[in-house]
Amino acid sequence: MMKRTIAFTLGTLLAAAPAAAQTVTVALNADIRSTNPGVNRDDNTDAVVLHMVEGLVGYRENGSVAPLLAEKVDVSPDGRTYTFTLRKGVKFHNGAELTADDVLWSWNRYMDPKTDWRCRSEFDGRSGLKVEKAEAPDAATFVMTLDRPSALFLDSLARTDCGMTAVLHRDSVAADGSWDKPIGTGPFRFGEWRRGEYVTVTRFDDYSSPPGDRPDGLVGAKRTALAEVKFLVVPDASTVKAALVSGAVDLAQVLDSDVPELSASKSAAVGLYPSATKHTFLFQTRDPLLGNVKLRQAIAASIDIPELVAAVSNGHGKANNSAVALTSAYYGDVQRKAYAYDPEKAKQLLAEAGYKGEPIRIIANKRVHVPSFNAAVIAQAMMQAVGINAEIEVLEWATQLDRYNKGNYQMMSFSYSARLDPALSYEQFSGPKDRQPRKVWDDPAAQDLIEKASVISDEAERRKLFDQLHELQLETTPLIIFANGQEAWAHTKRLEGADPWEGKPRLWGARVATN
Amino acid sequence: MLRFAIRRILMAVPTLAIMAVAVFVLIRLIPGDPASLMLGDLADPASLADLRERLGLDKDIATQFVIWFGNVLRGDLGLSITSGQPVLPLVLERFWVSARIVFIAVAIASLIAVPAGVIAAWRQNSALDLALVGTATVLLSIPTFWLGLLLLLLFGLKLEWLPVVGYVSFSDNPTAALLYILMPVATLFLHEMGVLIRMSRASTLEVLRLDYITHARAKGLSERAVLWRHAFKNAFGPTWTLIGLVLGNLLGGIAVVETVFTIPGLGRLLVDSIFARDYPVIQGCLLFVAFVYVVVNLVVDLLYPVFDPRVTAE
Repeated sequence: MMKRTIAFTLGTLLAAAPAAAQTVTVALNADIRSTNPGVNRDDNTDAVVLHMVEGLVGYRENGSVAPLLAEKVDVSPDGRTYTFTLRKGVKFHNGAELTADDVLWSWNRYMDPKTDWRCRSEFDGRSGLKVEKAEAPDAATFVMTLDRPSALFLDSLARTDCGMTAVLHRDSVAADGSWDKPIGTGPFRFGEWRRGEYVTVTRFDDYSSPPGDRPDGLVGAKRTALAEVKFLVVPDASTVKAALVSGAVDLAQVLDSDVPELSASKSAAVGLYPSATKHTFLFQTRDPLLGNVKLRQAIAASIDIPELVAAVSNGHGKANNSAVALTSAYYGDVQRKAYAYDPEKAKQLLAEAGYKGEPIRIIANKRVHVPSFNAAVIAQAMMQAVGINAEIEVLEWATQLDRYNKGNYQMMSFSYSARLDPALSYEQFSGPKDRQPRKVWDDPAAQDLIEKASVISDEAERRKLFDQLHELQLETTPLIIFANGQEAWAHTKRLEGADPWEGKPRLWGARVATN
Repeated sequence: MLRFAIRRILMAVPTLAIMAVAVFVLIRLIPGDPASLMLGDLADPASLADLRERLGLDKDIATQFVIWFGNVLRGDLGLSITSGQPVLPLVLERFWVSARIVFIAVAIASLIAVPAGVIAAWRQNSALDLALVGTATVLLSIPTFWLGLLLLLLFGLKLEWLPVVGYVSFSDNPTAALLYILMPVATLFLHEMGVLIRMSRASTLEVLRLDYITHARAKGLSERAVLWRHAFKNAFGPTWTLIGLVLGNLLGGIAVVETVFTIPGLGRLLVDSIFARDYPVIQGCLLFVAFVYVVVNLVVDLLYPVFDPRVTAE
């Protein structure tokens, strides 16, 4: 009786709190950095902002690119001119209708150095490709002319870290040109941002969804039934778990180790979602020891990768030694070829490499939601079993990233963020070390194949190039890719249809159960 | 009194100046680059160069220090690298969130712990003394993050009396705000109570053994009068000093408690800024914390004569 009285009293008091009953709460492990798409961002920022804004094109679940605000995209025979025909009836959150003028204004804003758009260098010639001209010949047509054909142009526009090159209404900026708030075309509109606490988005009733009967990556059907979504900052994993069980949070990424307990909970359910994140062991090929390909091959042969992946993912993950993600349309039989676990061969390769027990240091970090440290510990044990003197050095993430960028390591347990097109995925770690010390695979033959795959649009031709790249990567072993991401997300049982994608919550397909 | 206060404030100036230099240099000695962290593992050289230039990180450290210190002297702590917000309002806003919790927790802890320590000393070696000392030792030994999680499990999950996550500011809804800070306050006061009970007991025991207490008892004064009028006044000094230190220490950061209870306070801001290598915010937070520490200890020193007439501010 006493308990009920106290609970009732406190419940009555809490009812005065601003939390609305129909608000769905999603936990973020850190606050967003801004609401400015592709400018000051991280994964959490992208996850929230992409509920409010959309670009001309977006990613499908299989990593291909599809029209989003565009109804169709026509490419000229020389591959240099892209004509985007806009969907009719699309409105901004302020009620204004989307026109090609808005697209042109948004593009010019992104290309203005004052905007600090992180992807400007992808389009202004500094990274190769240059958009020579952008025009709006009529209200429904937007045309971009490139200096060269590119297979990656649309991918670059769709990149989530570029904020999907979102089309914004010009009222998103203040009179002095400074950022105010996102007035986009997404299924949710900006609500309130309490820094360090939460950000809310509310349903946009005039939203015009792309065609489709279900969400597909960041395209497909995007109609929403939810009135409001609150992205609440909850940094501690234990608190997240308690909040899910109590119902204070409806959706959150959780630790693999919490999956069994949450799955058994009466109030929560757990789903596992693949992502194109790459979990890897990097080798510094300029290291006096690891410059020897036989030693790198010996390390690869010493690690039972499926066993390692099963251990670090609580049995949920699947090994993949390719830079082409398991979810990619380009993942095929060749990409299934993997390093063979063979301790005897590892010992033989060590002898051929002239290895005399010199220490090999593996750098790792203990960030949550990446298997860096656990993978390093298991790899160390397996390497030691064949006679490799492996050591682990644990660093805080910023320090590890600094060492990575400077190429200052022997071996590193490192996770790459997702790149959905295989050419972009290979480009993440390939290139000349003299220009960019962070690059891992400095091989002109590989670079040549990647550059071809960046230009050729034909799917079959690209597939052949990716197959060759995979074979070459297995042979030269500049790194060991051991798995893609497999993320565990838990949700309360009242929330249905909120399936995260590529590590980002997607609330436009979600609904609240009525009973 | 005024001269003493002015002298102490002036003494704080070089302390803060040395602190400014130390913080600036030390944080830059830690490996890590804010621009790289902002761009992540995909930083192409052109974007990285652009960002470093915009953030002023392309300048040498001496130039960066001169610019920053010049701005600090004008009361401008700069802009956050990650959020672009002015640092001083950000630090003040987060400080008040932490300060409310800390002041309430320390006040409750002091009100309970000081008399409890005096009573434990008065009844030394009794069952009550053992119970109080045992409780204090247990409270002192439990890490705050664990204590916080236990409270969360008990009052948030099992009993469902209190909200598990979130924060409501007092300006929005004082009643709800109170409910949201109950557990963080309880975590802190339980922990600090352990420290204060032990100190209060030890200093009271020391005073109770002095001759003037025997003399007071010999005069036929009641135990209450001996204890509160004679012993407590002299025994409270060290505890008061400790309260000041505890207050200064907690105001400087209760990051663990803030992380467990999702409180957007100064400690969490500092920790997040260190992970993000947000130099202006780290420097701003630490300078502010040093300033608060100096002010709290100055106030404690100035209030000393109120509790112990033997001490004068001069």
